[in-house]
Amino acid sequence: MLTEYTITYSTQNEYDALVNGAFWQFLIIPEENETQQLVQWHMDSNLQLSQNESINGLGFKTIHAQTKDRFTEADFKASFQVQKKSSNPFDFIPNQNLEMDYMEIQSLAFRTKHEIYLRRTGFTDLPIEFAAIFPFDSNKNIFENLMGLNHWVFVYLFFKTDVTHVDTPLKEIIEKRHGVCQDFTHLFLAIARANNIPTRYVSGYLHQGNGYFGDSQMHAWAEAYVPQAGWVGFDPTNDILVADDHIKICHGLDYSDCSPLKGVVYSSGNNKTSHSIEVRDSQQ
Amino acid sequence: MLARVANNLFWMGRYIERSEHIARYLNVNYFSSLDAPNELSQSRQFVLRSFLFMIGEPENDPEKILDEEKVLFNIGLDPDSYYSIINNIKAARENANGARDLISTELYEAINRFYHFVLNYNPEHFVKKGLYDYTIRVMERSAILRGKIRGTLLHDEVYSIIMLGVNIERATQIIRIINAKYHDALLARESYGHEMENTFEWSTLLKCAESYDMMRRFYRKTPNILCTLEFLVLHDNCPRSVMNSLNQVSKHLHTLDLDKNPKKNSTAFLAGKLRSEIEFMNVEDIEQDVKLFIQRILDQLYRISKRMEEEFFQY
Amino acid sequence: MDTNSKNSLFSSYPQKPELFDEVFEKDGSTKAIYEKLLGLYGEHSIQDYVYLNNKAKASFFNQGITFQVYEKEKTQEKIFPFDLFPRIIDTDEWDTIESGSIQRSKALNLFLQDIYHDKKIINDKVVPLELLSSSANYLHQMMNVDPPGGIYNHISGTDVIKHSDGKYYVLEDNIRCPSGVSYVICNRTALKRALFGVFNHYNAYTVTDYAENLLQILQSVKPRGVDNPNCVVITPGMFNSAYYEHSYLAKAMGVELVEGRDLFVENNFVYMKTINGPEKVDVIYRRIDDAFLDPLEFRSDSALGVPGLFAAYRKGNVCLANAPGTGVADDKAVYTYMPDIIKYYLDEDPILNNVHTYHCSRPDELKYVLENVDKLVVKPVDEAGGYGISIGNRLSKAEIKQVQEQIKKEPRKYVAQPILSLSVHPTYIDEKESFEQRHIDLRTFTLLGKDSEFVLRGGLTRVALKEGNLIVNSSQGGGSKDTWVLKKDK
Repeated sequence: MLTEYTITYSTQNEYDALVNGAFWQFLIIPEENETQQLVQWHMDSNLQLSQNESINGLGFKTIHAQTKDRFTEADFKASFQVQKKSSNPFDFIPNQNLEMDYMEIQSLAFRTKHEIYLRRTGFTDLPIEFAAIFPFDSNKNIFENLMGLNHWVFVYLFFKTDVTHVDTPLKEIIEKRHGVCQDFTHLFLAIARANNIPTRYVSGYLHQGNGYFGDSQMHAWAEAYVPQAGWVGFDPTNDILVADDHIKICHGLDYSDCSPLKGVVYSSGNNKTSHSIEVRDSQQ
Repeated sequence: MLARVANNLFWMGRYIERSEHIARYLNVNYFSSLDAPNELSQSRQFVLRSFLFMIGEPENDPEKILDEEKVLFNIGLDPDSYYSIINNIKAARENANGARDLISTELYEAINRFYHFVLNYNPEHFVKKGLYDYTIRVMERSAILRGKIRGTLLHDEVYSIIMLGVNIERATQIIRIINAKYHDALLARESYGHEMENTFEWSTLLKCAESYDMMRRFYRKTPNILCTLEFLVLHDNCPRSVMNSLNQVSKHLHTLDLDKNPKKNSTAFLAGKLRSEIEFMNVEDIEQDVKLFIQRILDQLYRISKRMEEEFFQY
Repeated sequence: MDTNSKNSLFSSYPQKPELFDEVFEKDGSTKAIYEKLLGLYGEHSIQDYVYLNNKAKASFFNQGITFQVYEKEKTQEKIFPFDLFPRIIDTDEWDTIESGSIQRSKALNLFLQDIYHDKKIINDKVVPLELLSSSANYLHQMMNVDPPGGIYNHISGTDVIKHSDGKYYVLEDNIRCPSGVSYVICNRTALKRALFGVFNHYNAYTVTDYAENLLQILQSVKPRGVDNPNCVVITPGMFNSAYYEHSYLAKAMGVELVEGRDLFVENNFVYMKTINGPEKVDVIYRRIDDAFLDPLEFRSDSALGVPGLFAAYRKGNVCLANAPGTGVADDKAVYTYMPDIIKYYLDEDPILNNVHTYHCSRPDELKYVLENVDKLVVKPVDEAGGYGISIGNRLSKAEIKQVQEQIKKEPRKYVAQPILSLSVHPTYIDEKESFEQRHIDLRTFTLLGKDSEFVLRGGLTRVALKEGNLIVNSSQGGGSKDTWVLKKDK
């Protein structure tokens, strides 16, 4: 079954001091893959922009926008029309002998192939004192353990906005037990990687039903490599597997590979940024 | 050529030219005042005030007694005063550094030697008995740089950009020197009731512009205000005249921008306009209101330089 | 000691018998290759020599071949100390160094190509996976990127020393932004200015052909679809300690020297801002580190880089030399596997020796290192410039303890090697107004292009000016010497 979504991304940036030219990179275009197709997109701004498609360091589509204007406010509004095919994340047959899976992930060939997604990064390095915070159960297969982890993160952390920011270390998140989807995802990644499961950070849009406006930000979830199944998406913020309501933009080692908006702005002083996202299902 | 590097070359030219004029102003005024025909012009205080006026930091308190050594140090070798000769040469070298891959090794080494020379000049010696030696050597080394610029660079856009800096700065400095000496002459008149064709100040002015001998040769008479201004502003064969500098500016702008009919308010347009204005000016018009004339020319030169930055160096 | 064969300049040369002197035999006689040179230098008195030495220093100053140091709350300009007594390398020895350097560069290039693609060498268990996973210099953004021409390390600097057994050993490979090549050329110029006569008696290779070869190499790795590539050198700016070198190379190649702010990216192509508007750039010899290349992809606070540069690179529209991410291969831990890496990719035995290395990450070797800190050189694996190195026989008891603690804390961070005795060379010491033995090494410069390679016949001989010191880096008080590679006899 096909669902068509219209996604609107808008951002307002206010600068204290006059800005004299800027270069922005938007990582907000939905990825094209087996379940997603991008029908069309466009972006508008209050500024005179030169705009083109580009790629980020991992090859995902970006929008480069630059201006020579002088300004104190930069607003952008982009909209994307995406067709999403239904999929079933349970649609694979796990190995009957679960030890085979564990042996596979221990093998040199597997670890070499997935080396980068087994790395501990600044955001996903599980502090040593929490090494046993969620032990895997060797009597369950990898998929079941990851489902367990997904649920555990959902229960362990409390969803709370404005208490963490993009640089909050994992240690603090574990200690204070609250955060947003980013923090849920990083915790999931850290524990899975500590158990030798390759995992990647995913940034995307979440369709939450009819007409949620402004209550939603860019969403984040995790993808883990499960033997026999390949990359499977886990959304620990909502304790669900990733399926039809998740529209993926890109993945990376952690948030720093997936930041939706990066910019080089020739100005001094501070700035205020706000985003809002709306995902509409066209049938509604 | 990179826009940033062009900016470096332009300012390198300006700073080299500027340090030379300051050095010469110190030298000529100080030593000619020693046997000046009237008491005021002989006065140390009068000369020191003239120095400060010329570099753009006039002393406004008429009662204040200036300390000769401090003033000399301040203008000659003080690394903390932005207008000092040492800072001009430092800035020239920094700009040369930024364009190092474009200029000849010979020119770069000459600038670098110049820099090390001023850097190592003993300030104590300078303020006590080195004024003559220091300023003469600064002038000589500037002349060497001029030679290296002309003799070792390709006469292409690199050369033109440097020469634009040199000539805009030269015109500016000549006007500033006229301004300072005119100011001195006014003071001298107030205090002695002399007429304005006070020969002494005009001779000094011409010497400050290295144009005394040639002016004498051309006019075959002692300098007065009219012929001095005519020679330094309007005479297109005098290499230091404002007219000559503007001719050079127009010529070098042409190398950079081959547009025969420069767009309105382009650098070439502004420079051409000022050039024609001066070309058809006569010295009596200038003398009507010298101060106004000086201010107008300085404003226009500033506009040309600013426009040039916008047109070529901004990015 | 027999001093008859020594002339006045070297009459009081203190020769320690335990050191390997490249000029004098143990009995004090002169080695054949230096005989003529010594005779020529002998025509000068020490006063002449002092005079020439001062002239040479002044010449460096006047040419502005200086670097800035921040001292006593003031920036000061210093010259890189230069010694007027040259080092001579004969043809046969040089052949070994040259072919060995090329061999290493090629092997490293294949290694980089492999670890950023299929990682065969790891699957084949020649090097451990940990070499990558623990390396901070491994850029995951470079995975499956194909650099133009297939070259990663266009420019490599290989540091070799001559050991007391008379053989050359490689100390390390530098394949990020190796510097120092301009000093090779300046040293030659300075020596020619001071003592031009001596060149008539030796047939040494020129060193001035480096820039033209570099330009050819850069042009050979042009992006596809470009006929006449526009090459530039990018520098962090004039306050960088290697700015002289950057400007020298740009000038000698006749290309623009740019800073990050001179470039911009539009539609995934790179342009420079000229007085006549934008001009496309195809190949960038970059002298800024990976982390600063592109604020959108790497360090976001970098003001030295160009936003969008990495995207243009990934799209294949511009070539960066060296490629981003080469740092992973000059990690000191990779060095220790070099013989295996050469064998794996080229099926050849290494031409240049490696120094035996103990890995503190391996428990049995860690044990040996901890017990023998006093007999070993201990180095952090990821520091450049001679920082953090401890030399066992120079340490006090307390310092040894400190080093042991450091290693125990992070064993993966350290490797250790036996203390090599670097050869010594007579070096003029200013304060003493005489020649003394000082330790030296040699940095060679190897260029790798699409179908060509080049080794600069000369290289930078670096001298540790402090008596007994083994660390030759300029940041640690080292100087340098002109290095003559002799042509085969006519």
